Amino acid sequence: MLPTQQPYLRADALLSVRNLSVVFRRGQQTLEAVAGVSFDVRRGETVGLVGESGSGKTTTGRAILRLLPKANSSMSGTITFSGQDVQAMPAEQLRAARRHLQMIFQDPMSSFNPRRTVSDIVAEGLVIHGVDRTEIATRVDSALNDVGLSAALVGGRRPHQLSGGQSQRVAIARVLALQPDLIVCDEPVASLDVSVQAQVINLLHEIRETKRLALIFISHDLAVVRHISDRVAVMYMGKIVEIGEAEHVFSRPAHPYTWKLLEAVPVPEASVKLRPASVGTEIPSPANPPSGCRFRTRCPRARELCADVEPPLRPMPHGQFAACHFPHEEPAPTPLSAG
Amino acid sequence: MSDPDAPLLDVEDLSCDIDTPVGVARVLRNVSLRLAQGRTLGLVGESGSGKSMLIKSILDLAPRAARVTGRVMFEGVELTGMRAAERRKFVGRRVGVVLQNPMTSLNPVVHVGRQIEESARYHLKLSKAQAREVAIDLMARVGLPDPRDSYSHYPHQFSGGMKQRVTIAAALACEPDLLIADEATTALDVTVQKDILDLLQMIQEERRMSMILVTHNLGIVAGRTDEVAVMYGGRIVETARTNALFRSPRHRYTDALLAAMPRADHAAHTTLRTIAGQPPDPLQPLAGCPFAPRCPVAEARCADSMPPTTFEAADARAFACYVPRTLVAPPPAEVH
Amino acid sequence: MIAEPRAQPPQARGTLRGDAVAAHRSRSQRLGAAQLLDWLAVTYLVLVVLAALAAEYLPGLAAPTASVGEFSQAPTLTVNGLLGTDALGRSIFSRVIYGARASLAVACIATAISLTLGLALGMLAGFYRGLIERIVDLYANTVASLPPILLILGLVAATGPSLFTITASLGILGIGTYARITKGGVIAQAEREYVLAARALGAKDSRILTLELLPNLLPTLTSVVPPLMAGLIVTEGSLSFLGYGIPPPTPSWGGMIAGSTDLLNRFPLLIFGPILAIVLTVFSLNTVGDRLARRISLREGQL
Repeated sequence: MLPTQQPYLRADALLSVRNLSVVFRRGQQTLEAVAGVSFDVRRGETVGLVGESGSGKTTTGRAILRLLPKANSSMSGTITFSGQDVQAMPAEQLRAARRHLQMIFQDPMSSFNPRRTVSDIVAEGLVIHGVDRTEIATRVDSALNDVGLSAALVGGRRPHQLSGGQSQRVAIARVLALQPDLIVCDEPVASLDVSVQAQVINLLHEIRETKRLALIFISHDLAVVRHISDRVAVMYMGKIVEIGEAEHVFSRPAHPYTWKLLEAVPVPEASVKLRPASVGTEIPSPANPPSGCRFRTRCPRARELCADVEPPLRPMPHGQFAACHFPHEEPAPTPLSAG
Repeated sequence: MSDPDAPLLDVEDLSCDIDTPVGVARVLRNVSLRLAQGRTLGLVGESGSGKSMLIKSILDLAPRAARVTGRVMFEGVELTGMRAAERRKFVGRRVGVVLQNPMTSLNPVVHVGRQIEESARYHLKLSKAQAREVAIDLMARVGLPDPRDSYSHYPHQFSGGMKQRVTIAAALACEPDLLIADEATTALDVTVQKDILDLLQMIQEERRMSMILVTHNLGIVAGRTDEVAVMYGGRIVETARTNALFRSPRHRYTDALLAAMPRADHAAHTTLRTIAGQPPDPLQPLAGCPFAPRCPVAEARCADSMPPTTFEAADARAFACYVPRTLVAPPPAEVH
Repeated sequence: MIAEPRAQPPQARGTLRGDAVAAHRSRSQRLGAAQLLDWLAVTYLVLVVLAALAAEYLPGLAAPTASVGEFSQAPTLTVNGLLGTDALGRSIFSRVIYGARASLAVACIATAISLTLGLALGMLAGFYRGLIERIVDLYANTVASLPPILLILGLVAATGPSLFTITASLGILGIGTYARITKGGVIAQAEREYVLAARALGAKDSRILTLELLPNLLPTLTSVVPPLMAGLIVTEGSLSFLGYGIPPPTPSWGGMIAGSTDLLNRFPLLIFGPILAIVLTVFSLNTVGDRLARRISLREGQL
C-alpha cells in the first residue's frame, strides 16, 4: 500500500512502521500477535498505543526495538527510524541505533539487575556504548536530576531499596542518560499506586517537553493515555482498529471497540448509580481469530458484511481513521450515559 | 442467636500487628466499620493501606505471625474469640470471597464444577447430584457458556475473565450473606472488568446480599456502592455515602487521591495534582494522622496526635482530620 | 460509619529501617540447634581440608605407611592411636587424614571440570536454544541413563586405575548435571525484563551472558555443588572399595574399608575410622548445601 492511500501515515516521521506482523510459535500452534500494523511517530510527538491483553501492543513495542525472543518468533514488515531500516541493520549498526531508540518497562524492579547499584544501572547504557569514564559520572548525575532524584542520595542503593515510584524514575534516568530521540514506554505506570502514578506521568510530560522526545506510550489505561498522548492508535487482536488525533478518538470515537473501551473505563464520578448491562460475550481465542472483522463477535453493530469482508482503515468525518463498516458518528459515551 | 437489627458486619477497634525480623509492623490501627444488610461498601486504599489485611483479619486468614486485637461481629455473633474450626465453619458458610488472581485461586488439577460445588457440599451437606445442579445453575448465572459441558473443564481452558466468573460462582455456592471481592478485577482487561463488576452488581441486587468491593481504584466504587471507606496507613481516614464522598471529599487524602487520578473525561495534557512523598512505613507508625507527612495543609498538631473523628449524619460520614476540606452541599434535588 | 477511635497504643519498638517484610519467624527462634549444626559442618569441612593439605606438618602425626604399634589395636588417647591401628599396625587416624587427600582431590577436581564445562554449555544451550540445546539435552540424558560406576569400572579396567582416569571420568560424567541446571536457570532468566532492558540498551550477547545472567545463576549453582561433591566422595569411596580406585599404598577411605573386610568379625573397629570420615564429610557437605539453598531462597524472596 502506497503512502498516498493511507493519509494517516506521514512522510516526515521519525519512526515509521509499515505492515508489521509478528508470529509466535508455541508447539504446533502459530499465533499472529501483530497482523499488518502501520503507523508513525513524529519528532516530539506522543503516540498512545491502546489495547487490552492480546491486542499486540506490547509485542509491537518490542518488535520496534528488535527485542522479540530469539526463538520461536518471526517478524515481517519494515521499521524505519531516522531514515534507516531497523530490521535490515547489521548488529553493530543496530547497537549504535539503540542510543536513539529506547524503552522503559512496566515493572521497573524486574528491569533492573538486582545486584547492581542505582548509579551502575543508570550508567549501564553509557558503559555499553563506550562513553568516556569521566563523562559517565556527569551524565549519570544529570540524568538522575532530570527525574527528580539525587545521585548522592540514591546512587548507592540497590533496586529492592527503592520504592515503586523511585524505581520507575531510575528506569527513566537510565534511558535519558543516552539522550534518545524516541522512548517506547510499555505500561510504565501500570504497576504503580495512583498517587505515585501521577508523579511519573507528570515527569514524562515534563521531560518530553524539555527534551523534544517522541514517545510511544503503550497502555491499557485509557485515562492515562488520553492524558499524555497527541495521537492514539487503538489495537484489537493484532490490528489497529482506530488511529488519529487523541482529541478526536476520545471525544468522537468511530470504532465500536473504542466505544466499548470508553464505556468501560471506571470514572470516579458518583452522581448516578450505574445500571449494569447484560452479561458480556466471550473473547475469541487469539489463535483462531474470527473471519472478516476480528471484533465482530463482540460488536453490537455487526452485520453479515462484517463476517465476509475485513474492513480497512478508512477516513472518518472527524479526521481519524477507523477500520469499520458501520462506524459510530455520535459523541463519545460516558459510563453515566450508557444506562 | 442473631439480632435482626444488628448490622451484618460490625468491626470494632481492629488492630493487627505483625512480627517481622526487623520489628513490629502495625498494619491495621483501630479500624472500625459497620456494614448493614443488603448494602455495598467500597473499601479503597493503595498498596500498604491495610485493606487486604483488614479483610484477612475479618476472615481469620491473617498470617500466623499476626496478632489481631479488637472485635468482629457477624450477624450479631462475635467472631473474635471463637475457636478456629468453629469460626471457619461459621464464616465459610456465610461469606463468599473472590480474590484478585484467578490463576492462583483456582486449583489447576480439579475441574471447575467440583471447585464450585465444594463449599455447598461441605456446608450445606448436599448430595453429589444436588450439588452438581447447584453448580451448573451458578455457572449459568455468572454467564459461563454451556454450563453442562464446562462443568468438567479445567481452569486452564478458560480465559482470565471466565476464570473469575468461576471464582464468583464458587463464592456464591452457599448463598452467602456477604460477598467480598478483593481486587477481583485488577488483573482483568477493562472491558472484562466492566462485565465482571456488572455481574457482581446484578447478583448483589438479586440476592439482597451485602458486598464489599476492595480496590485501589476509586473509579470502580463510584456508581456501584452505597458507601465508601478510604484507608491509609492502616487506618480508615474517611467513610461516607458514595455520592457524598465524591461530591465533597473531606479528608485531605481522599481529596488528593481524587485529584491525582487521570480521567478519561477530563482535558488532556494538564499537570496532575500529585501526592508528594511515599506511602507510610508500617514499621514506623506515626503518633498522629498517617497522612500528615504528605498532606499539603498539614499543621503541627496533625503529626502530634490523631485527630478525633467527626461525624456528619446527613451523609453517613465519618472522618478524622484537623483541617478537612470544606463541605460542598448537595444540590437540592439530591435528598435521601 | 466509624466508631470513635480509642486511645493510642504504645509506639512500636521497630528501629531498623528494614527491607521487605519477609519471614514470619521472630528473632528468638532463629538461633538454636539448626544454626549450631550449620556452623559445626562448616568447621569440620575447613578442618578436614586444612588437615589434608598440611598433613606432613601436623605435629606427631605418623606417616601413613609407618608402623606405629601392634596390629589392629583399639583406639587410645594418643595422636596416632586415636582411631586405632590397622592390620599392618599403621595409624588409622593418620591414614584417614592422608586418605582425605584422595577423596577431596577427586571431588574438587572433578567438580571443577564438570562445573566449568557444564556452566558454559548450559548457558549457551539456554540462551540460544535450538540445536545446541538439543545436543546438550541428548548428552545429559545419555549420561544420566548410564550408571556411573559401571562406566568408570569399564574405563579403569581398560586403562588401569589412576587418579587421572577417575577424576577425568567423573568430571566428564558430571557435565550433564551442571549443564541441565544452568540451562534451566538461563531459560528462566532470559526473558526477564532486566535482560530485555540490557538488550534494549545495546548490550552484546557476551555481555548479557557474563554480566547479567551468570551472577544470577551462581547462587543456585553454589548451593548445588556441595551435595554433588558429597556424591562424588561416595562414588570414589565405592570405587576404591571395589579395588578400582586409587592404587595402594596411597591411602583412601574406600581402600581402607576394603582392606579390612576379612578381619571385620574379629576387629569391627577397623572400619570405624574411614566410615566415620565419609559419613561426616558427606553430612557436612549436604548441610552446607542446604544452608546455602535456604539463604538463596530467602534472598530471592526479598529481591
